[in-house]
Amino acid sequence: MRTPGKRERSEKTEEVPSTGGTIASSSDLKAGDRVVYPKQGVYRVTGLEQKDIAGQRLEFVRMSREEDGASVLVPLGKVATIGLRRVASADDIEGVFHYLGATYGDPELDWKVRHRDNVERLIAGGVLGVAEVVKGLHSLSRLRPLPAKERELYDSSRHLLVNEISVSLGVPDVIAEDYVDYALMPPAGVKLPLKTPPTPVELKGPPWKRKKPVAAEEEDDLGLADLGIDLGALEGVGVGATDSEESEEGESEGEKPSEEAAEEAAVPAKPVAPVKAAAAVKTAAPAKKIAPAKAPPAPRKAEPVKKPEGAKKATAPAKKAAPPPKKAAPAKKVAPPAKKAAPPPKKGAPAKKPVKPAKGKKK
Amino acid sequence: MIRIVTLASFDPGDITFLSKTLYRSFGVGTEHAGERPLPRKAEQDDGRFDALALLDDAPPVRAYADDKVLYLCDVDLANPEGPLGEPPAWGYAIQGGERALVSTFRFKPRGVTEASIEIYRRRLARESIHFLGHLWDLHHCYDARCAMHPSWSPALPDDPEFELDAFCRDKSERRIRLAKT
Repeated sequence: MRTPGKRERSEKTEEVPSTGGTIASSSDLKAGDRVVYPKQGVYRVTGLEQKDIAGQRLEFVRMSREEDGASVLVPLGKVATIGLRRVASADDIEGVFHYLGATYGDPELDWKVRHRDNVERLIAGGVLGVAEVVKGLHSLSRLRPLPAKERELYDSSRHLLVNEISVSLGVPDVIAEDYVDYALMPPAGVKLPLKTPPTPVELKGPPWKRKKPVAAEEEDDLGLADLGIDLGALEGVGVGATDSEESEEGESEGEKPSEEAAEEAAVPAKPVAPVKAAAAVKTAAPAKKIAPAKAPPAPRKAEPVKKPEGAKKATAPAKKAAPPPKKAAPAKKVAPPAKKAAPPPKKGAPAKKPVKPAKGKKK
Repeated sequence: MIRIVTLASFDPGDITFLSKTLYRSFGVGTEHAGERPLPRKAEQDDGRFDALALLDDAPPVRAYADDKVLYLCDVDLANPEGPLGEPPAWGYAIQGGERALVSTFRFKPRGVTEASIEIYRRRLARESIHFLGHLWDLHHCYDARCAMHPSWSPALPDDPEFELDAFCRDKSERRIRLAKT
């Protein structure tokens, strides 16, 4: 068996063009065009159709799969988003063969990453992306047998690749597959005339999978919240609205650690110095950092703070079931936060502990 | 039903062995439909035969729906030249179609000893399974122990296995079950 990296390249290193040809608009399509539907195969556009669906008149592109004649209707508005592309040109296909024949890279060993990448490549990577999947799984199969799911993916991606090559070069499928395997595993003693392969398209993935950069606003929120907590705990400054926001977020996340920490802090809160409470709040802090990102609308809920105290007691605690960490922290300190902390006793049982000592202190 | 058509003279023992092996591999009845003349139209200037043209011009035999016809010959076949060169041709088949062609030209000589005959028969069975597999939409397999592994692969031993691996066998069985008849 030929080992990865053993293959020699020809001395000429001529760049082969990379693949492309994505159809950006439905106006690019006309009857008779051959297009590739990602993960489906090669289709031929048969025409535009109008249909009444749910009282709306919609326009569709009708396509039929060349392989088996299966028919597909794609709404005109969706043409640009489903990743339709032109059948690869002969130049593109040549690049694919040079890519397949090039030396093997190390296969991705993390199956989750590998699976995600492979799916993205099949959807958005063009014919070279499909070739990447085939080559990647083929090189992995040299290390160990593929698991069942990946074996199927290997087979289906090979089918897509062979199908597109056969359409593009105008040769039967079996011959196209021979070409693919001739590049992947050439017979002993054969030196392939390889050029520098095209660079595969760098995939960014679908929008919902991309990592979002941390927004400046979120950072600000986090910073303020942290500051507010620290100040409130250490210097006895009322945290007010910020505190209530955090408590809501904590609840929405179901943060057990912060609640536990608050309870621990609350029990000895009567006599103990604020330092301990501060420590308790700090233990709960990591959970708070995560929370703001998932609960941005919190500031709205904080608005009731401006209302008269009576209203606060009626409304604010009613929304918040039991926010122990916040109530615990201010209660230990000084009078102003204790006022805000007062309402909870009416509602949640766990909140009683921190509140009572606060009243005692006041008196 | 798999119908074997010979385009050259083959030993009856080889055909019997092949029929049994094909039946075991695909679970489909196999019979020898007789010998037919080799179509000379497919011969190229270099003396080789264009695999595609040879299969196109191969004499038809009576077959029913979902029958597969396997042509056996002993001439040197040629494939169309690809972007990286011409892959060696051991046979040809129409993917998902009805007709396949296998040539014994690249086999080791049959010889006269039991061992060499056995190797020859096994190789004939392997290549027949390979190209019949294409008729049931099978693709090449990366496993060198599977009959769907490319015939020229350097990973293939001198006397390769003539069985399908689990994945290819399941897939072919599904296809056969889905057949109309």
